[in-house]
Amino acid sequence: MKEPKGITLLRHAVLILFSLFAIYPALNVLSISLRPGDRLRSTDLSIIPEDWSVDSYISLFTEQPFLTWLGNSLLVSLLVTIFGVTLASIGGYAFSRFRFVGRGAGMATLLTTQMFPATMLMLPLYVMIARLHLVDTFLGLMLFYTATAMPFCLWQMKGFYDTIPVSLEEAARIDGCSRWQSFVRVTLPLAVPGLVITALFSFMTAWSEYLVAAQVLQTSENFTLPLGLKSFQETMSTQWGLYAAGAILVSLPVVILFMVLSRYLVSGMTLGAVKE
Amino acid sequence: MIRSGQQVSNHQEFNLALLLWLGEALFACSLLVVIGCEPREQSREPQIVTLWHQMTAAEREVLDDAVASYVEQHPGITVRTLYKETEELRSGFQAAALAGTGPDLIYGPSDAVGAFLPMGIIQNMRPYFTPNELAAFIHESLIFGPASEGQPRPLLQVGDRVGNHLALVINRDITKETPVDTDGLIRIAKENTSLGDSSNPQYGLVFNFVEPFFIIPFITGHGGWVFDESASELVPSLDTPEVIAGLSFVRDLQNKHGVLPANCDYEMADTLFKSGQAAMIINGDWSWGDYLNNPHIAAEVIPLPNVTATGKSMAPMVAPRGYSLNVNADSRQATAAMDLVRYLTSEEVQRKYMARLKTLPSRKALLAQAESSSDGTLQASAQQRKQGIAMPVDAELRGVWEAMRPHYQALLNGSVSPEEAAATMQSDAEQNIQRMNAELKPGPIVWVLQIIAFLLAVLFLWWQRDNFRAFFGDLRTNRFAYLLVAPAMAVLVLTIIYPFLYNIILSFSNMSLRRFRDWDVTGLQNYNEVFSEPIFFIVLLKTIIWTLVCVVFSVAIGLMLAAVLNGPVRGKFFYQLVLILPWAIPAYITALTWRGMFDYQYGAMNLIGNGILGLPMVNWLGEPNAAFIACIITNIWLGFPFMMVIALGGMQGIPRDLYEAARIDRVSRWGQFRHITMPMLKPVLVPAVTLGTIWTFNNLNVIWLVSAGGQPSDKTHILVSYVYKAVFNLYRYGYGAALSMVIFALLLTFSILFLKRTKAGDAVA
Repeated sequence: MKEPKGITLLRHAVLILFSLFAIYPALNVLSISLRPGDRLRSTDLSIIPEDWSVDSYISLFTEQPFLTWLGNSLLVSLLVTIFGVTLASIGGYAFSRFRFVGRGAGMATLLTTQMFPATMLMLPLYVMIARLHLVDTFLGLMLFYTATAMPFCLWQMKGFYDTIPVSLEEAARIDGCSRWQSFVRVTLPLAVPGLVITALFSFMTAWSEYLVAAQVLQTSENFTLPLGLKSFQETMSTQWGLYAAGAILVSLPVVILFMVLSRYLVSGMTLGAVKE
Repeated sequence: MIRSGQQVSNHQEFNLALLLWLGEALFACSLLVVIGCEPREQSREPQIVTLWHQMTAAEREVLDDAVASYVEQHPGITVRTLYKETEELRSGFQAAALAGTGPDLIYGPSDAVGAFLPMGIIQNMRPYFTPNELAAFIHESLIFGPASEGQPRPLLQVGDRVGNHLALVINRDITKETPVDTDGLIRIAKENTSLGDSSNPQYGLVFNFVEPFFIIPFITGHGGWVFDESASELVPSLDTPEVIAGLSFVRDLQNKHGVLPANCDYEMADTLFKSGQAAMIINGDWSWGDYLNNPHIAAEVIPLPNVTATGKSMAPMVAPRGYSLNVNADSRQATAAMDLVRYLTSEEVQRKYMARLKTLPSRKALLAQAESSSDGTLQASAQQRKQGIAMPVDAELRGVWEAMRPHYQALLNGSVSPEEAAATMQSDAEQNIQRMNAELKPGPIVWVLQIIAFLLAVLFLWWQRDNFRAFFGDLRTNRFAYLLVAPAMAVLVLTIIYPFLYNIILSFSNMSLRRFRDWDVTGLQNYNEVFSEPIFFIVLLKTIIWTLVCVVFSVAIGLMLAAVLNGPVRGKFFYQLVLILPWAIPAYITALTWRGMFDYQYGAMNLIGNGILGLPMVNWLGEPNAAFIACIITNIWLGFPFMMVIALGGMQGIPRDLYEAARIDRVSRWGQFRHITMPMLKPVLVPAVTLGTIWTFNNLNVIWLVSAGGQPSDKTHILVSYVYKAVFNLYRYGYGAALSMVIFALLLTFSILFLKRTKAGDAVA
């Protein structure tokens, strides 16, 4: 059905307004990264400054260990993604399909882990990581990131499985599949959009975290990207050009991921919705 | 649904949740004990010395050269250096030292020693140096602790430079004059201030106007000082006529003389001076190299002028920077580390720093060379150092800064008079110092508490015995389900439950500056303190407003955009992509960008609002309410894409025929939204809103980065940022732990009530 012109116009007006609102701060970072001489502030409103230069970007690759940081971040984030998706996909399945004692308690516990101010956990967390001899290792970092992302991922997967009819599995089991087989062969393939969101969320958790990374990682060769970026920030002489250029490069992969996955983003996000 | 096992009610589920925590905690503890018992591997060769420092990029180059040549001469040694920003160095080292690890050496300004000493995380370095070696250093570059019976005072820090002091830097392209007194300073500043051209204004004098460290020279120049020098203990002396005179002078610089831009913070002062838009800047020796090497300006460093009214010279604080030794370094590590320090503070290395960065060396012979040097900057710097006053190294100084900052900022935005500011600074400083040094003694209530805790645990187990029995029975029947859930739960337990329990114990303890490594459980004092401070309720109210406004707007905007996108729109893909950007870009980057956008003169908000739309200028970051709104706007910006995506996903799951039926019944668009979309979205939105509320309530990042840690005047704090500040600035670990338990309890109560009210419990549980 065709809509009246007024409504279409209104739609575009709202979308354009909020698109500007959404994109402007991002463009601002771009503009700082192109400004020579570490100038954070400027009265110039134009996005590309008159005396623009890409020196900051060149310096990132030639003078800074940017590629090492990138490699570390990719490694950690990808492993966390694999870890997180695997655990959440099987755990979420159990939460969705079985009525075991402690199921509700488990789901509630997941929620409660989000309620504690995370910064207060820093000190005990470090003490624990030191006791486990995981200081300055990616394993220690990955454990924590997986755990941070886990509550959301489990909820998300549980919600998605809820939308998949149980009858499909029952049919498979009548045909002789085991419980595990019916899960892996029937339900899991149908849950791909949900898995994609879970993966994206795990990836982002690991990709942009720096508070815990700053505590755990203690040699600059092991730095992840956010930590590398932080090292351009000094108490009173931040290298703003490098910082902004790095910020743009850190954001790009995530933006591209969102772009590629945007089809799934809307259909895969369920967050505990019950559609029984 | 495959149903098996026992169905338990919602109410019981929450009890079970607690139970699950307990069980998991036990598991985590036992795991830790097992792992903790493992003998630690000690590889003997090659020896590694680690050093954490906070040197700037330019200083790091000299350090790296020096370390490289040291390692070349000492083949058995590897040196690992790590840069950390000053505050991160401090908190990172504290945590590491508490856990029994950490670098062998830390390098930083001398005031850090003031905290490390009472915490007991650095050790005496005196045994590693001969008296003759130490005699070659000027006295203020060696930091000693208090004497204990029969022992010489312990050596806590060996400085490789002195300074960190402020001086005046003049851009000679703008003025050739040199002020000798403050009257001259104001005159020259006024003559060189021209605000006619609004796109390219020029200011006479800039400096970090919002930070009390930068006004110390004005206070000393009027004869004041932060501590009472006649008292034997450290007593703040902020409520004196001298301090008031200094505060009035500084306030007048902007209000009366108008030579400074509004809300001039460090970044603004620095940017203005570098881009040739300021005639003079007051800044520290760390910044001078940058100015002198800048080809766009002709910078010259000169000592600060005298105060006309008193004839006294403006004395900045002078502090050495140097190396301290971790308490966890054993004698073998310490010997190696001290050998490295001997080299890094040698004449050879200090000369390099002096030549490249114009820093003042800490060795007597070298300093004499600097004083008689032909280099103007070194000469001015040396002269300024002589006029300066040594910065106290005591931890109490932090209590003073924390007390000065909010009231000083209130003075600048005109809400209090200099007299009022000085009086409140004084009382707050006294209170901070008392709180920081407070040592809670174990009360008689401790054993009562222990018994109560034990009884509660037993009662709980008894009360829940049926659930336990059901659980163990179900373990067999539902083994498959438990197996699937176990790995995810194990990861959670490992990383979250242990710190959580640790925190519970801390909340009953006296862990603080003076009891950092040897804290005891002392009772309920911390909780008592949380509820007896009126500020708690004020901050709580602010947190509720913050959460409510942020969540309501994020959800409203998200819903609206989802509704708009859920129709026939051309370019949907493009719009969706752009609208998701705030979610995709890491928040720690965009939060800082937003801070820049809220800047009074240079921020996009005012440039667009005032310059293009003609709205009045808003002092976003300088006025408490506006700053709070600035934080809220930033958080809404960060939060709406998530809500939009959730809502859009939910809307696409609503069957089309419902709308068609409504259209046939001539239900309006709004009516359709109200009676079809909203109820159908509820199952998706309720969990999203719950999570959104919890995340917003605990969102430290935005407040901390946008308002620079609660500025102005600590008026933008929400509970989490308030906790963070109490813990990291005043070392009140026990208090912070108790306050976070209160936050946890508040959120838990909210979630239970909210989920019950919306009857969406099953969506969650």
